Amino acid sequence: MYSTVGFKLQWGRCVQSRRFRNLTAAGIALWMAATAFAQANRPGQPQNFDNVQLHMIPVQGNVYMLIGAGGNMTVQIGNDGVMLVDTMFAPLADRIAAEIKKISPGPIRFIINTHVHGDHIGGNAALAKMGAPGSSPTEGGGATIIAHENVVNRMTKPAAGGETPGATPGLPTDEYFTPTKDVYFNSEPVFIIHEPNAHTDGDSIVLFRRSDTISTGDIFTPERYPFIDVERGGSVQGLIAALNHILHLTVPAHLQEGGTRVIPGHGRLCDEADVVEYRDMVTIVKDRVEAMIKKGMTLDQVKAAKPTFDYDTQYGSGDAFTEGVFKSLSNPPKTPTVKYLE
Amino acid sequence: MKKSLLFTVLFSAVMVAQAPQGAQPPVLPGPPPQARPGKTAAPVDFTGYWVSPVMEDWRWRMVTPVKGDFASVPITAEAFKEGQNWDPAKDEAAGLQCKAYGAAAVMRVPGRLHITWQDDNTLKIETDAGTQTRLFHFNSKAPANEPASWQGYSEANWERPVRGEGDPRNDIPPIFSTRTGTRGKSLEVVTTHLRPGYLRKNGVPYSDNARVEEFYDYHKAPNGDEWFTVTTVVHDAKYLNVPFITSTDFKKQRDAAGWNPTPCSTR
Amino acid sequence: MTFRTKLPITTISIFTFAFALTGPVFAQVDLTGEWAPAYHEDGPERLPGPELGDYMGIPINDNARLRADSYDADRISVVTEYQCRPHSADYGMRGLGDLRVTRQIDPTTQQLVAFHTYMPAWGSVRTIWMDGRPHPADYMPHTWQGFSTGVWDGNMLVVTTTHLKANYLRRNGISSSDKRTVTEYWTRHRNYLTVVEYVDDPVMLTEPLVRSQNWTLDPGQETHRMFCEYAPEVPAEVGSVPNHLPGANPFLHEVADWYGLPYEATRGGAKTIYPEYKLSMPQPEQPAPAHCERFCVCSVLLDCNLHGGALGGPPPAR
Repeated sequence: MYSTVGFKLQWGRCVQSRRFRNLTAAGIALWMAATAFAQANRPGQPQNFDNVQLHMIPVQGNVYMLIGAGGNMTVQIGNDGVMLVDTMFAPLADRIAAEIKKISPGPIRFIINTHVHGDHIGGNAALAKMGAPGSSPTEGGGATIIAHENVVNRMTKPAAGGETPGATPGLPTDEYFTPTKDVYFNSEPVFIIHEPNAHTDGDSIVLFRRSDTISTGDIFTPERYPFIDVERGGSVQGLIAALNHILHLTVPAHLQEGGTRVIPGHGRLCDEADVVEYRDMVTIVKDRVEAMIKKGMTLDQVKAAKPTFDYDTQYGSGDAFTEGVFKSLSNPPKTPTVKYLE
Repeated sequence: MKKSLLFTVLFSAVMVAQAPQGAQPPVLPGPPPQARPGKTAAPVDFTGYWVSPVMEDWRWRMVTPVKGDFASVPITAEAFKEGQNWDPAKDEAAGLQCKAYGAAAVMRVPGRLHITWQDDNTLKIETDAGTQTRLFHFNSKAPANEPASWQGYSEANWERPVRGEGDPRNDIPPIFSTRTGTRGKSLEVVTTHLRPGYLRKNGVPYSDNARVEEFYDYHKAPNGDEWFTVTTVVHDAKYLNVPFITSTDFKKQRDAAGWNPTPCSTR
Repeated sequence: MTFRTKLPITTISIFTFAFALTGPVFAQVDLTGEWAPAYHEDGPERLPGPELGDYMGIPINDNARLRADSYDADRISVVTEYQCRPHSADYGMRGLGDLRVTRQIDPTTQQLVAFHTYMPAWGSVRTIWMDGRPHPADYMPHTWQGFSTGVWDGNMLVVTTTHLKANYLRRNGISSSDKRTVTEYWTRHRNYLTVVEYVDDPVMLTEPLVRSQNWTLDPGQETHRMFCEYAPEVPAEVGSVPNHLPGANPFLHEVADWYGLPYEATRGGAKTIYPEYKLSMPQPEQPAPAHCERFCVCSVLLDCNLHGGALGGPPPAR
């Protein structure tokens, strides 16, 4: 009924998926605590999911956007089945599945996580369970979950005792550590591109080439300042590089409007011009903080100088963002920024 | 017989349904109806205190522009030449301090207005800037010997429906179209008999042949503030290449706060 | 009754039923036509462009002022994505504003469905829906022209526009945000069209910005199509965004000095737009020139000379 799907990685090598590891009780608890912590870091997470409204809107080509609570989801549909980018929160999984069923009868075959935060991976286990492996023609058995290896590393960080955690539902099953990974699904190439040390150290953006749509995760959140998760390897340098890369990939249809659609981590459906506004803001604030650091100002002094003042009425309080910029400029990430050929 | 009766009933029902609510019955040729007093006929209320926030032409209105600055005004070569002769001291000495407060320009001078009905057919606009008074006369024409003045003589009417020149009997019965025209809420004013004055305080001239058309439109902003906009069209073949069109916005105030009568000044 | 009698009666009955179904039509104002803009207010700002640092007349807040101060005019060429950036629905009415208005009539009901406007500046096409449809949800895309709906208030068309992209309040760095709502009041008097714009922008303004523009009917006007293709104009680092650090913009005093204006007044803000400001306005730091030196004659684009006036001679006869 559904066509087999082939996959390849860059350079033609076939990479084996990691085997499931055995989990100790401490590992499960640690992962749950980490998820809860990540969720708690996200502003505006609702406690009561009953009041959350889900809205599925067509974007273009095979791609839809699902807005609800937590991070936006991307839904790609077609004869091969369903591909999701991110999964919101676990309590919403059944309702999410119901929304997907309205537009496609196919099984969920792939879930791609843009990064490790709980409002983007919370539904992994429940939604994957409903699906079937991406590479298999069979139904059932659980969808393939793809993420950068740093997402897996963060989700399986050893407990204080140093014991290696084992497998857990919702853990990515197919991680990659190369600059990109691609999948051909529903008649279009899907590029999963690692953006190093941006929002976190495990960020991926997803380019649906024929549908001309990019899912950015929390690299781009047009209605709020970026959250630079320095604790998890985020940096303003990587964030700016990622935004510039997104701008490199987007092509507007007519006079800076339309064309490539951009699904942000949070907020409305966008296009290139919206990303330009955001990139400009991040770059300008970075320039200001950089100049203050050169003058020897401390973090408190930089915050007091309000380098985000002119954007605060648009994006809210800039203190956390300022702190993220300061810290990442003061201690630049060690991973070199990858130069892409395209 | 039954079918013709049915037809008559249907036809009548359609005619009733076609008639727009509140429409006047079609006008048949005959003597015009007697004009209603301006105050009675007013579809909107312009009375009260109004302030003009200066969000356009700021540096030509809030300060006196420098000599020779005619930006935005479609002046003729003659106006250009005349404008170079502007001499505020000379105007002061000659008692011409109010030259920039004439009807063609006074609505652009930053200030407040107090609008009242002087009588049923005269709407009065007082300005605090330059302490000018404009009288808008309804149902009245300028007297033949009306002397020229800074404010001239203003003939006012509430906007009449826009009609074509065709035979009004085409409206009866309104089978194919209705021609009720617009349900206007605008005040139209034409001012003549003006003394030569300045469109701007730095001596951009208008002549005694100038004719000023104005359209006053009221609207309510989304936040409930009341505004009106006056679109002013100055016709002056001597000094203007084309009619000079500006639109000035006034916001209603609850009271006379800020009312500050100041005399005319040349600077 | 014969067939010959029956047929006309039947025909007339069918027609009258059809008319009855359409319902009464309230005649409104015809706004359609080719409209030529009158740049008789703020000509230099709207035509060649505003001076840097000129914030006069705009009730900007402190946040918007800092953003404008940080603006480097190089951005519009260095950042290639800015080169073809159109004027939005509201700012487009201020700029190069040759305007065509057409209307769309439902063929079945003969009711007005929408007005369509076209401005050749950036080929801006806009639809003003007149059929009562609601505005889209917040999460739908924003566009340069936004989403507009209109209702009649007597002879005035009241247009509400949402879902606008960030753009300009004045194209010298004073931005408008994507959170703004624009309400317009369109009136036609004879062959004059006046559009009053009420811009409510909680991000940039302390109170709504109200400006009005005028057009004259010009049936002979032919609007053209505009093309734009970006090109790298200057070498620059990828992702470079020209900007001035706070306090480091060297151009902010120019407009005050060139025109002999108080610097405080050029900084804009609600305080400076009310008549009483004239009483407290400080003296200019530099005296005004004895005679106009910049844009002295400027009411149409070709007539807008940087160094006109006595130096440039009188305007050309039309």
